[in-house]
Amino acid sequence: MLLIRHSIGSRLFYQTDEYDIHPKKDKWVISIKIPEEDAKEIIKFKEELNLFDVEENQKTWYYSSDANVEFSKEKYQMTIIADHKTIYPV
Amino acid sequence: MIQRFPASSRYSVKNDWLKSNLSFSFGEYYDEENIQFGPLRVFNDDTVQAGKGFGIHPHREAEIVSIVLHGQLKHEDSLGNSGILQFGNVQRMTAGTGLLHSEMNPSLEEEASFLQLWFKPTKKQLPPSYEDISYNTDSMRNKLLPIVSSTPTKGASKIHSDVTLYLSTLDAGKQIFYQQEQGRKMYVFVIDGELILNDDVVVGKRDSARITELNELTLKSTNETFFLLIDLGGA
Repeated sequence: MLLIRHSIGSRLFYQTDEYDIHPKKDKWVISIKIPEEDAKEIIKFKEELNLFDVEENQKTWYYSSDANVEFSKEKYQMTIIADHKTIYPV
Repeated sequence: MIQRFPASSRYSVKNDWLKSNLSFSFGEYYDEENIQFGPLRVFNDDTVQAGKGFGIHPHREAEIVSIVLHGQLKHEDSLGNSGILQFGNVQRMTAGTGLLHSEMNPSLEEEASFLQLWFKPTKKQLPPSYEDISYNTDSMRNKLLPIVSSTPTKGASKIHSDVTLYLSTLDAGKQIFYQQEQGRKMYVFVIDGELILNDDVVVGKRDSARITELNELTLKSTNETFFLLIDLGGA
């Protein structure tokens, strides 16, 4: 499960099981199928997003320090290029 | 202008371990007209039940100040810092590029209450850091005691945001005067007691005031009053 939250106060923007994360050089490309309305709200706060890949015993925290967040209206796909990753136990 | 916010105007969250009163948008509470006041973005008045607390979680790009009012708070973070804070202690955490921490009430009997404030940092991508300080609770009687400041101040924790936080306890009927540079803002939060601001605005227990376009403020207590004053940059 992937959670997209506001980094200030942790407001939940979006939660999904339809996502893909793959490494690219020293970054991570996170792709999400998402309705346009949700995408708009996320883009509004693109400088302040935290992403959490939630697994049974751990969470992986990603963020993009340069707000690298794009949305394709045609494909309903959001792409976030994260340059930070931290794994921690839950 | 002095804008008073009664305690009852805050958004309240309660679950089996936490009671929190939120002065600004936070978590499930979102009001786009109430996002911040200058660099102040979060002001939570938290009470944590015995043995409970905020488990390990991350932060980034925020200057976080916790002021313990009652009970104990056990801090641990991914930088290797740990400690137990109580009344008379203040912690400042620079989240910067990111850190993990937990804040737990280590007591099995007593609840803990503290103020949690987040400020916008003056610079992004700062290295994360942590500091806690002790202050002499007697030294804030009828005086403004700086506890956290962006400018080097003896006894105060250094913060990477354009703010200075003062604590004070005024005896009944005492008055204190504060002056700041033009264009800045002030935020007053009454922890206990009652203040009259500029002989006009009454601010009671857990009320707050957001002050703009004034650079002088008189704070008079009607009874013994413990309060927080924040001097903030105008942005």
